[in-house]
Amino acid sequence: MIERDDQGRKVARRAPWFLLGPGLLFLVAFFFFPLYTLGRMALSSRPSRFANPVFDWQWSNFNSAFSRYGGQFTRSFLYAALATVLALVIAYPLAYVIAFRGGRFKNALLGLVVVPFFTNFLIRTLAWKTILGDQGSVVGFFRSMGVLSSSGTLLRTPLAVIGGLTYNFLPFMVLPIYVALEKIDPRLVDAARDLYSNTWRAFRKVVFPLSLPGVFAGSLLVFIPAAGDFVNAYYLGNSQTSMIGNVVQNQFLVQVDYPVAAALSFVFMAIVMVIVIAYARVLGTEDIA
Amino acid sequence: MSVVTTASGPSGRAKRASMPDGTVMSKGGRVGRMVVNVAAGASLLYLFLPIFVIVAFSFNQPKGKFNAVWQNFTFQNWMHPFADSALVDALLLSLKIALLASAIATVLGTFVAIALVRYRFRASSFVNFLVVIPLTAPEIVLGASLLTLFLEPHLITFNHQFALGFGTILIAHIMFCVSYVAMTVKARIRGFDWSLEDAAMDLGANPTRTFMRVTLPLITPGIFAAFLLSFALSIDDFIITYFVSGPSTTTFPVRIFGQSRVATPPQINVLASMILFGSIAVMAIGSWLGQRRARRLGI
Amino acid sequence: MTDPEVSRAEAVRMARAAMSRRQFIGRAGALFGTAMVAPAVLAACGSSGGSKGAGGGKSVSISNWTSYISAQSKKDFQRDTGIKLTYTEDINDNNEYFAKIRPNLSRHQSIGRDGFVLTDWMANRMINQVKWTQPFPAADFPNKKNLRAALAHPGFDPDRKSSAPWASGVAGIAYNMKTTGKEIKTIDDFLAVKGTKTVLSEMRDTIGLFMMADGKDIKKPTFADAQPAFDRLQKALSDGTISGTNGNEYVNDLGAGNLAAAFAWSGDVAQIAKDNPDIKFAVPESGGTLWSDNFMLPDTTDKPGLGTDFINFFYDPKNAAVLTAEIQYISPVDGVADELTKLGGDAAKLVDNPLVVPTDAFLAQLSIFGVLDAKTEEQFDKKFAQVTGAG
Repeated sequence: MIERDDQGRKVARRAPWFLLGPGLLFLVAFFFFPLYTLGRMALSSRPSRFANPVFDWQWSNFNSAFSRYGGQFTRSFLYAALATVLALVIAYPLAYVIAFRGGRFKNALLGLVVVPFFTNFLIRTLAWKTILGDQGSVVGFFRSMGVLSSSGTLLRTPLAVIGGLTYNFLPFMVLPIYVALEKIDPRLVDAARDLYSNTWRAFRKVVFPLSLPGVFAGSLLVFIPAAGDFVNAYYLGNSQTSMIGNVVQNQFLVQVDYPVAAALSFVFMAIVMVIVIAYARVLGTEDIA
Repeated sequence: MSVVTTASGPSGRAKRASMPDGTVMSKGGRVGRMVVNVAAGASLLYLFLPIFVIVAFSFNQPKGKFNAVWQNFTFQNWMHPFADSALVDALLLSLKIALLASAIATVLGTFVAIALVRYRFRASSFVNFLVVIPLTAPEIVLGASLLTLFLEPHLITFNHQFALGFGTILIAHIMFCVSYVAMTVKARIRGFDWSLEDAAMDLGANPTRTFMRVTLPLITPGIFAAFLLSFALSIDDFIITYFVSGPSTTTFPVRIFGQSRVATPPQINVLASMILFGSIAVMAIGSWLGQRRARRLGI
Repeated sequence: MTDPEVSRAEAVRMARAAMSRRQFIGRAGALFGTAMVAPAVLAACGSSGGSKGAGGGKSVSISNWTSYISAQSKKDFQRDTGIKLTYTEDINDNNEYFAKIRPNLSRHQSIGRDGFVLTDWMANRMINQVKWTQPFPAADFPNKKNLRAALAHPGFDPDRKSSAPWASGVAGIAYNMKTTGKEIKTIDDFLAVKGTKTVLSEMRDTIGLFMMADGKDIKKPTFADAQPAFDRLQKALSDGTISGTNGNEYVNDLGAGNLAAAFAWSGDVAQIAKDNPDIKFAVPESGGTLWSDNFMLPDTTDKPGLGTDFINFFYDPKNAAVLTAEIQYISPVDGVADELTKLGGDAAKLVDNPLVVPTDAFLAQLSIFGVLDAKTEEQFDKKFAQVTGAG
């Protein structure tokens, strides 16, 4: 950047901070500082059950978070991982077809991918509840095919919860993969085809590796909200499928055990961060955002 | 995008045999192609399955309080889309919050984006990191942490004792939109040639004039996109809002959550369908305007 | 650049690198930006939550459970008293509602409501433990004299100074005759039903029903007595015999045919049965739980008189009968049976329904879950939360 004179340089030095100031201050006050208050709450204890918690380095909240809710932690990450893989399997062909075979309908097709998400998240999940309902035709079909026993159900099973998670975060997988595929120079693919003389191999050796940044971004964008979700497990699951989000929600907004709830949120956030960083290290990307 | 279209556009018969993705029209290739196309079609169908159900059930005439089992076809619900006044109030509140929150978040986030792209300063990568971090935080953690913040007065919030309600929802929504706006606008303006701004001033424009007359119009599409994104995020948010909404301020999603346990009037489906069709219309018009603009500019 | 798709999915455009090379931005943005943003930020930070004020005429805002009012009653109340009524069905679970109002009430901030309705044990907590209620102004509650004697002196509010029962009901078993194919009479019958079953998230009802099946006395509950009940529930939940707990939302699943059987509340089932006659309600042979929901005034409301006018209206037997005919729960008001008869039609038939107008023999089958001291209550709640998996 070339500055013409001293005055300009001074303005330039201060200018970014004028611009950043309001936004950053807002994030500091309402994102970073709340993480501190959350941490403080996680180390608080309640003098009596309904009294306001007092900060007193109560590390035992973390113990109870782990010892009591290990199952929900495992389940959250397991379900989220499965939903991510499923979303990838479903999203990839779609993104691929739009990117390479969309032609002039490309934008319209992309529009179709996001249109379902103009309806509210909860309403969509409720619709799945209707679809998977015990009296619904889906269950009826599976029963008649023998996939489900005559009293078998889909609602209130892990399958329904994972399916709901997959569905609700699917566009977050489709769009980054599309963006990555769309950036690939077709001449490169032509060259690859000449080299490998086989579409599948050309795909494996060239297209797929080049789309990895999209796969990476999409996986994170699906995994993170899926792991922290409580709505799908609430509507589509049962008490054996409850996830960490359900526990946090319940502890904060039903049981009012703020300290344990805060400890749970904190641990959850920490695990997510570790997973994200580890994932970034392994797959390597210079630009998540 | 344009690269792909020009590559496949003017091609003749001979070229069409080889698709841009390198698919050869051999027998195996054709089968593979079919399989992928069918998979993509199935994915689209999967995406739309619940939408069909939502729209279909807006024409249902439920016998009881719950619109969950198909009974009879009726236009009644569409004749009286605003019959559930509490639901309508909640929707209006959501619209109000979404408009306000996205407007403020767009201003805050756009300036962060401009600063990050336009200027090179020592802390810029750290600042970038700070802006990205909120995007990786699960919603439930955002909601929980804001709730703990609002419980007590703090120096950083001017010792203000928050009461859960409209203000706290607004703050929460601005917070989670700012980073999205910053990242969206940043991606859009990254390729601009910044050195040319001096040229405008060399030609006699003062800084304000340069910004208003030259810069702003150019970055407007990106800002507009970021605004719409914020709006969509805000109006759809349930998890964070549920933590900070308090006892008597009910947004549309919070209302639906409450309602879903006690009664689901078909008006929920009607309003949802209206929002859906409205959004599609906005999108189609936007696309048409965009194409017209592009054609006019010869891009 | 033509990108018409604008949605939350735009977020992923983060992943996109450089766009088409275009133009530039003025450094004036810096100054312009701060000038524009500062007021907005201040406005945002300064804004506080607020409750809706009265705004002109008399108005009152009430929170209640679902299926607990009739449209006719709401109209009558507004017509007779000239008070505008904002009635919100936002109570689904005692604990959840407590959690919702706690941040505000514990700091003495308005919750935007002038009255709410909570179950006995939660009324006890509200009145005696956290003390977030205020007494009714006696002058505004002349109809209090119509309160049934049996309900007039509960332990948590001996003179009914701050609470007035809204309705009483019974927790028992609801089942779908089409699925079960037979009547359900005991808890064991219930557990043996094939298909999806749920229990109530209201601890006292669910554990109460199990304890009674174990032959325990729930009028004086101890944590030790409840152990077998907790164990049984835990086992049933983990092996899938019972698929989960529900607040009021079981109403949805029961009506939709997604439940074969469930622990449920009497009046709800009566209302569902109007749409789906296969749905039946039974009090287990070992006994059902009897509870009351109580209207109270939050200490933050500045118009206790109007809130009291609301409850006073429903203590007129005529109005109580209209309400009872709709909600089909036990009314706390004397003389409702006569008024129901006067209403005629279906309402008159309710007089013979023990779930609405209970006979002594029927009441003998029911027990009220006794008051737990704070410490025991926490033990129960923790154990229940742990068993039901939601934490």
